[in-house]
Amino acid sequence: MFAYIIRRILQMFIVLFGLSVLVFIMLKLTPGDPAVIMAGLGATPETVQSIREKLGLDRPWHEQYWRLVSGLFNGELQAMTYHVPVWQIIFERLPATVELGLFALLIALIVSIPAGLLSAIFRNTLVDYGVTTIALMGISMPVFWTALILMIIFGVTFRVLPISGRGATIGAWSFLTLDGLRHLVIPSLALSSVLMAMNARLTRASMLEVLRQEYIKTARAKGLKESVVLLKHAFRNAMAPVLTNIGLQINTLFAGAVLTETTTAWPGMGRLMVEAINRRDMAVVLGLALFLAAVAQVLYLLVDLMYVWIDPRISYD
Amino acid sequence: MAYILSLLFPGLGHLLLRAYRRALFFSLLMLIHGGILALAVIKGRLGWVAVGKVPERYLPGYWLSTWILVGFFVLIWIWAIFDVYRLLHRKEERGQSYWQIVWRRFKKDAKGITGASIVLVMLYLALFSPFFAQGDPIKMNFTAIRQPPSLKYPFGTDHFGRNILDRVIYGARTALGIGAVATLLNMIFGGILGLIGGFYRGVADAIIMRFLEILNSIPFFLFALLAVSIFGSDPITLMIVLGIFGLQPARIIRSEVLSVREEDYITAARAIGVSTWRLIFRHVMPNAIASLLVTTTMSIGVNIIVIAGLSYLGLGIKPPTPDWGYMLHESQEFFRVAWWMAVFPGFFIALTVFGFNILGDSLRDVMDPRLK
Repeated sequence: MFAYIIRRILQMFIVLFGLSVLVFIMLKLTPGDPAVIMAGLGATPETVQSIREKLGLDRPWHEQYWRLVSGLFNGELQAMTYHVPVWQIIFERLPATVELGLFALLIALIVSIPAGLLSAIFRNTLVDYGVTTIALMGISMPVFWTALILMIIFGVTFRVLPISGRGATIGAWSFLTLDGLRHLVIPSLALSSVLMAMNARLTRASMLEVLRQEYIKTARAKGLKESVVLLKHAFRNAMAPVLTNIGLQINTLFAGAVLTETTTAWPGMGRLMVEAINRRDMAVVLGLALFLAAVAQVLYLLVDLMYVWIDPRISYD
Repeated sequence: MAYILSLLFPGLGHLLLRAYRRALFFSLLMLIHGGILALAVIKGRLGWVAVGKVPERYLPGYWLSTWILVGFFVLIWIWAIFDVYRLLHRKEERGQSYWQIVWRRFKKDAKGITGASIVLVMLYLALFSPFFAQGDPIKMNFTAIRQPPSLKYPFGTDHFGRNILDRVIYGARTALGIGAVATLLNMIFGGILGLIGGFYRGVADAIIMRFLEILNSIPFFLFALLAVSIFGSDPITLMIVLGIFGLQPARIIRSEVLSVREEDYITAARAIGVSTWRLIFRHVMPNAIASLLVTTTMSIGVNIIVIAGLSYLGLGIKPPTPDWGYMLHESQEFFRVAWWMAVFPGFFIALTVFGFNILGDSLRDVMDPRLK
């Protein structure tokens, strides 16, 4: 087990190293000199040159790469256009995205698990068709469009919810205030639509799988009430894959957050990513990509370990 | 005799052979395409009709659709005659092939038929957009800015007075065109990587898998975003970028190859000295084709959503090309006063992707040999 974890962590570093090299190469291929962009219009060649030297853009590629990555870790690397260290700007934006993501996940689970459950229990009935169709629609709708529609319905037509920004916050969190909570509704609902659909389908599939097992037959045969069979025997076992799968949805969640945050002017990491790309701020882009990948890799490892914990039959040695 | 009748009008020959359902099918095909032809002639947009009557810049688009329509008519004729040939030379009842079973099951699957219809409608909108559109999708009309939906403009007009219905119809072209080509590239690159990885295993496989892991470590959408912001976003670049980074098929092919390569018939084929390429194409590919078809269908949907997302952020298709994502980008500024600018393009994205998704879902069901 221990050896497995070590191996996984090593693999994780290989992935992160590969990613950083890939992103670095892509950024280096970008047309347009960042020094010129930073110097602004009408700058003299001397100014541009001095900025280039300051950023180390005149060094060979491998030195630049090393500078960038080591700078990320010791906090010396400045975001080019924000004039603060990269970590600082990422951590400033982190709570907003975490909040949005967790609320979206919460809404998604509250809706999707009962929906998937009903769909599996009443298999091939109208309920099932309804749930599966709605779930497929949820996967098909682009989140930014869902957000726009929600904004039009609740923000413009009925004027019951604010349509952009985060509202009042306590510390870095906005769900603690009523105003902030109201601001949270539309973005998290929009973002949850995709997760809802994915989790409802997963719950349904997992539940159907469990209902085919022998022990369900046994439970029924010994005369247990159907509700006990379904909820106690089947549901609890069906939940394991669904819950562990949540960890694997982080990438979907973040891709959705990039778009939702842009639509609803939610000041999180997703919007930071778009801003940084538009400003050609490669330090921030690289930092964000690595940060996100690291979080995802750790989550994937945790999910794998959770399988062992949930199901003792699995072992990785 | 049946041939001559079929030559006159597809489906007539079938009447003689008492294949009434097939006759109906062919006449329906003729009716639909005839309708499109009539529409094109009435609107004066068929290539030959339009020459000299409309501005030069419209002509290439009109000719393209015209030739595609002509091509479709030729195909229907050939298909009808071939079908008559098949009916006349039908052999004794043979066993059913896998694809016949799949087709029979697919016909009964309401989900699949709905999905296929949605996809077909979108495909036709894309291929024949000049015939269906009311006018020019990029012509601005400053006397009709942000008109709400009305009889004249069923979907309203945007902030430049452009007809949203027309833009949505032409948008199908952009979305399906780029989506389909990108997916094709996904299949080619992913397929090759998956085959190499699964077949040769060892070092090649390890490198390919690590590479895929790196690509998967951040969302596909972010890679696309990054790549597009770097390499630019004219349609060709967009296709290539999406084509290269969406390598999901590689995993599927690889696992398919891995499961097949241990089978006895592969060992047998090897033993009689079959070459590697023949082995791959004759023995491994047919087994992988089902899951490949499902992935293809689904990835077109994914690619369409990704393209829309990129354009929505202003990093994809550039104006004035009509594109659903970019239309939503423009609507962002006006959604308070002009809801129709946001609703219709998004609805078409959702509908198209929904079509591909349920089609893929249904294909997965009908092609699974375990579900009989």
